[in-house]
Amino acid sequence: MSSSGSAVEIEGVSRTFGSVKAVDGLSLKLNAGEVMGFLGTNGAGKTTTIKMVLGLLAPGEGKVSVFGGDPSDPAVRARVGYMPEVATYYPYLNARELLAFYGGICGLDAKMVKDRTDGLLESVGLADAAKRPLKTYSKGMLQRAGIAQALLNDPDLLVLDEPFTGLDPLARIHFRELMRSLKERGKAIFFSSHELGETELLCDRVAIMKKGRCVYQGSVKGIAGDGESNLERLFLKTLEGAK
Amino acid sequence: MKTFALQVRALVKLSFLELWRRNDVFALVLLGLALMVPLAMASPFGSAGASRYLDEVALLLVWGFSLFVSLGAGQRLFAPEFEARTIYPLLAKPISRGRLLVGKYVGALAASWSALAFFYVLFAASVLLRGGSFSSELCQAVALHFAFAALAVALSLLGSLVMSASANYALCSIALIGMFFFGRNLPEYSEGLPAALSWLVKAVYAFAPHAEFFDMRQRLVHGWGGVDGLVFAVVMLYAFAYVTALLSLAALVLRRRRL
Repeated sequence: MSSSGSAVEIEGVSRTFGSVKAVDGLSLKLNAGEVMGFLGTNGAGKTTTIKMVLGLLAPGEGKVSVFGGDPSDPAVRARVGYMPEVATYYPYLNARELLAFYGGICGLDAKMVKDRTDGLLESVGLADAAKRPLKTYSKGMLQRAGIAQALLNDPDLLVLDEPFTGLDPLARIHFRELMRSLKERGKAIFFSSHELGETELLCDRVAIMKKGRCVYQGSVKGIAGDGESNLERLFLKTLEGAK
Repeated sequence: MKTFALQVRALVKLSFLELWRRNDVFALVLLGLALMVPLAMASPFGSAGASRYLDEVALLLVWGFSLFVSLGAGQRLFAPEFEARTIYPLLAKPISRGRLLVGKYVGALAASWSALAFFYVLFAASVLLRGGSFSSELCQAVALHFAFAALAVALSLLGSLVMSASANYALCSIALIGMFFFGRNLPEYSEGLPAALSWLVKAVYAFAPHAEFFDMRQRLVHGWGGVDGLVFAVVMLYAFAYVTALLSLAALVLRRRRL
């Protein structure tokens, strides 16, 4: 953990693609044990920000640090788990083999991977389908496999891109419980979502993006204090107000 | 170092699982058996010429099949990862792009070499079943063929970073098969051409991978003996240098590629 105790620190970050400014002067901080929802319309810059947090993309301006280090450093990424929005993974593998593969990539030995795999498949509800090829999985099942691979290295920071996509109501409840238990263990969770209801239930703080700029940042508890009945109203009001 | 070994092992295993689970390897094995078994059973009535002809056909099939496997393994290294977006969770893991590239190359190479070894076993079986024997230069021929497979996998790995899997497969096949059959004649072809075209053909001759350097089929079939040790060493060095250049270029492309 960095000396400041922050899992992610983004300071004045901008990123341009051609003439499009995908992220513009973004600053935010995520502490250990905190859950932050990253909201915004399509093309608001959420995924670009996530890629910079993962070290997949370098910021044009500003600085991104994860646990006080460079996110492109493999040693830093060893403490990070990531679930992408849509990934078909390797259709010819089954869930167990997928986790064994990613475990190897994380540098975990076979025994450790096996030990963790059983628990993870159980916790995401894929234990019964563990030996089925991923190509036979539904979207929700692939999403759950994605959650399992993100948790495989027991990360201190979990970065999730649209984690609720494809999950049925029961799976959403299980997912929320899983996230809460991770938060209780001091893990930091940073996720983007269009599911405002779920975000409100899960998050300590939210950041709302519009056209690359952060137009709101605050705690979910604060929303009620503002007299808003829910996050959806705040979201709409914020976006309409930030023209 | 232990982490790197585990990462490479995971990537090698993935390559083998991919070969095994996709039906192309079964199709390939069936095709190999369907063509090799009749060759082995064919009775050339003691005619040395007919026996040599069968050997030549068998070796051409070994070359064709191994090229199919090498390019097939190489073409799937990166392009499908980008298309399916699995490259993101992969690169979000604690592995550098350089290590990923090396690991993927080693995985595809291991799969390709295993298939090549299998085809040579089939070839050997077909020769023995016909009552034939092996000349000492077979080891040299096999070593050169393995070096060629390393070059083919590196070429298709580079292609998989810059184009789709199908385009990569088609272009690499054209380049390698073209050089295999016509490479040695390119200087001759260039002589009667207009200046600009002549330079183009000469440039292709200078830079294209010379698949024909690795081909010892005629020597094996006709019993002409092995190549000189120095020539063998230079060709192996050529393969090594070419593979190194291709992988270095691939590393540069992967590093600069926007995700």
